[in-house]
Amino acid sequence: MEFIAAAAAPKQPVLGFLAPGVVGQFFTIMLLLLLVYVMIQRAKAGLRIPAIRKIPGLDAVPEAVGRATEMGRPVHFSPGLGSVSNPATFAAWAFLAYIAKICAQYDTRLINTNRDYLVHAINEEIIKQAYLEAGKPEAYNPDDIRWLSDSQFAYATGVLGIFQRERPAANIMIGYFYAESLLFAEAGHLSGAIQVAGTTNTTQLPFFIVSCDYTLLGEEIYAASAYVSQEPVLVGSVVGQDIGKILVFIAIILGTIFENTMKTNPLTALLRK
Amino acid sequence: MKKQLPFLLTLAVALFIMFGNYTFIGQKLQITGSIDRYFQVSQAAAFMVGAINLTRIHSTNILRRRSGYYNSVVLLLCLWAFFLLGLIKGNADKTYRWVYNATVVPMESTMFSLIAFYIASAAYRAFRAKSFEAVVLLLTAFVVMLGNVPLGDVIWRGIPVIKDWIMGVPNSAGMRGIAIGTYIGSFATSLRILLGLERAHLGGGS
Repeated sequence: MEFIAAAAAPKQPVLGFLAPGVVGQFFTIMLLLLLVYVMIQRAKAGLRIPAIRKIPGLDAVPEAVGRATEMGRPVHFSPGLGSVSNPATFAAWAFLAYIAKICAQYDTRLINTNRDYLVHAINEEIIKQAYLEAGKPEAYNPDDIRWLSDSQFAYATGVLGIFQRERPAANIMIGYFYAESLLFAEAGHLSGAIQVAGTTNTTQLPFFIVSCDYTLLGEEIYAASAYVSQEPVLVGSVVGQDIGKILVFIAIILGTIFENTMKTNPLTALLRK
Repeated sequence: MKKQLPFLLTLAVALFIMFGNYTFIGQKLQITGSIDRYFQVSQAAAFMVGAINLTRIHSTNILRRRSGYYNSVVLLLCLWAFFLLGLIKGNADKTYRWVYNATVVPMESTMFSLIAFYIASAAYRAFRAKSFEAVVLLLTAFVVMLGNVPLGDVIWRGIPVIKDWIMGVPNSAGMRGIAIGTYIGSFATSLRILLGLERAHLGGGS
């Protein structure tokens, strides 16, 4: 018996240019982009936009640095294990720029430990610039910006050693963390440091919540630059992202209703296009 | 120029990746795959940046005879000896693998196992019933822990069922809520970077 296999029909572009299977995704991204863009434009035009609620973890940063200054002990900052392609690392950079500037103003030593070489190189530049902007370039010490290892637990061991030897009075951990989160937070607690932590990794958040003084939950770390600067354009982008979040929740509720009442869920069909 | 050039490069690469991911031609040409390969090559090359920083700091420790400088000697010896071994013999070599398996693997396992003790100390502090929220946390953790061990089932059959409900319903709902916010936050951050509004990574505040 002979079988004749039908050749698979060649895939055709959707709407003339889009790849099949990503159309729903593309338009969802475009909608979110539009929302953020509209809110940024509203802010630029001076129109009223909602304010960002208080984020205690961010308000605690100057207090933590101030405490370290009074005690004459350093501040430690870790961006976690995230590489340059991780958005949480970009959030960490906004924090680092803020913290480095406060440390420079207060004449407090800032120790920054890194796992990723590229993140380390960028951190050096951010801290150097912060000291320059604070008018204290001579206080910048490149030896305090350290790359320890690219191996997770070798990096963790290095940080624990620094806690033991240098006993920082403030430990700030913002970025993408894995299992080393609890090692850092407990070692920081043992050294008597005030601890502010934030990560987008939901599996590590509980560890930070139970062991740190202040924890920024997930997306809160992305609001740092807008919150600190209170620049309307940046605040506008945060408001845009919040409206996007409301739309996603509406879609979830609608999806649940469609899934339970209809034969084919139109939302799922749209997203699979 | 120092800030404009990196910004323009970021924008160009981001648009290129979007083109590769979403357009028919982009997917056909497998553009994102080649970008990923370039990224891996640049990551590997950047190792030297880190290694030079480590060498500079520890050489200063040795030259100035700072306390514990002998640890710096050991660190530099290990770093460069292992690097040279890998460079000369390759990472598939028997000696290279032996050094890795006999030193790095057990040391990493040791560090990982420390987490068990830290979990106990963190739990002790977190589970002190000082407020209503702490009491809720304590009771929930107690039920989940009991539900995860055979003893819970022996005490009452309902404990593992309650544990499954806690993990599957309120816990998942909370985690997913945070995850959705994080994804949208990542997206808005990416957009701020593309528009040049987020400039901390270019040196200086936003």
